[in-house]
Amino acid sequence: MSEPKDRHAAITGIGVVAPNGTTTGTFWKSTQEGLSVLDRITREGCEHLPLKVAGEVRAFDPADTIEERFLVQTDRFTHYAMAAADFALDDARLGPGSVPDAPYSIGVVTAAGSGGGEFGQRELQQLWGKGSRFVGPYQSIAWFYAASTGQVSIRRGFKGPCSVVASDEAGGLDALAHAARAVRRGTDVIVAGSTEAPLAPYSMVCQLGYGELSREPDPSRAYRPFTEGACGFVPAEGGAMLVVEASGTARARGARIRAVVAGHGATFTGASRWEESRHGLAQAVRQALREADCAPEEVDVVFADALGVPAADRAEALAIADVLGDRAGRVPVTAPKSGIGRGYCAAPVLDTAAAVLAMEHGLIPPTPNVFDVSHDLDLVTGGARVAELRTALVLSRGLMGSNSALVLRRGTAQ
Amino acid sequence: MPQITVEELAALMKKAAGVTVSPEQLKEQPEMGFDVLGVDSLGLLGIVGELENTHGTPMPVDAERCKTPQQFLDLVNSTLMAGA
Repeated sequence: MSEPKDRHAAITGIGVVAPNGTTTGTFWKSTQEGLSVLDRITREGCEHLPLKVAGEVRAFDPADTIEERFLVQTDRFTHYAMAAADFALDDARLGPGSVPDAPYSIGVVTAAGSGGGEFGQRELQQLWGKGSRFVGPYQSIAWFYAASTGQVSIRRGFKGPCSVVASDEAGGLDALAHAARAVRRGTDVIVAGSTEAPLAPYSMVCQLGYGELSREPDPSRAYRPFTEGACGFVPAEGGAMLVVEASGTARARGARIRAVVAGHGATFTGASRWEESRHGLAQAVRQALREADCAPEEVDVVFADALGVPAADRAEALAIADVLGDRAGRVPVTAPKSGIGRGYCAAPVLDTAAAVLAMEHGLIPPTPNVFDVSHDLDLVTGGARVAELRTALVLSRGLMGSNSALVLRRGTAQ
Repeated sequence: MPQITVEELAALMKKAAGVTVSPEQLKEQPEMGFDVLGVDSLGLLGIVGELENTHGTPMPVDAERCKTPQQFLDLVNSTLMAGA
């Protein structure tokens, strides 16, 4: 790449609030063990809906880490973002005074698909139940999909470039790429990622129109991508925030470079046009490899989008073959999200976190609930697989037609 | 009309803005700014809305622009007095 050597976009911190773990450590333990935490939805007001299974974040009390004045003005999706950002910044050992020119040298980028539906529903019920005077003022900001970027930057006092990516589920990867670009252009640190909270009545009703949504009530059968039994996807909540930092800044303060965001590509092929997503996704991968100056032979593992819809799974398997050629059937592919569900924009960010952890541990986590692979892929199932991993490819597609690919390189300074 | 007490204001700050402050602290430091206490402009707007709903009367436009609890109580209570 053309940027100066000390301005590579390094990942120096990971913060996770996921259905299978509310710390990065427990997330990784559950992920590498292939634990499935998909379960019947327990949220109040959702019992009668035809969507029965999801990945809920259950072991998380936002009041443990977030001040009450931030809690009252934010939705659950922003609670996750604030907590995950704290965890990521702690992991990166980024406290006050650790970066020159802070707070202007630190920014925030998030992506969000569904915004603050639970908060919005509560206030709209006030509107129609009692009248406009009973709608709280924080409604004006809490359900907005940009709320998490705003609240993380306000709460932590970050005054660098802040933005929100609205590009469908693949926006999670696009947010990381946007962060990497900001770092290459001169910002020292971007806290980037996505968290979602789509498991509330209003939010769930909004999703019922998706033909790709699984209505299977058995948690072990509801989301089985790449199998004959694939019947759609199940949603999830939570997500991850990462610290994306200029490699030179990280080295100067002695921070560990866990991985490098090396390349990204994004294309658009139209809503639910899964057959066409083959070419769009392949093209996104080619762009990402080119930007990373990475040959297809160097890809050691693929974290698949794994929608769980037969036509989409077929298109993804073919896209991987289009790009990786003869090696496609031998490059390990995994989809840990089959054990936690798809958290919309947050899903590929959790995959990115898992990919970084996989490279660090030399271990490819398996694809839970999947046993009979019906595509020509070396899908990792059952248990984790030991492998020397230097380069990981993360794929994501959105229901509205976005396709993105991200190339990650393992960190060097361990 | 009944006047708004520091106790009521403290309870509203908690409910509408998530800020915990004791009535004693509000009495001792009535000029401490809402910004220092952690109540932002939307939080103060929420407090005004709660008061309007509870007392069934509109508050002056300037209520949401008050900088301190003392200013706020003076303005709101003079309005309630005038309306009584």
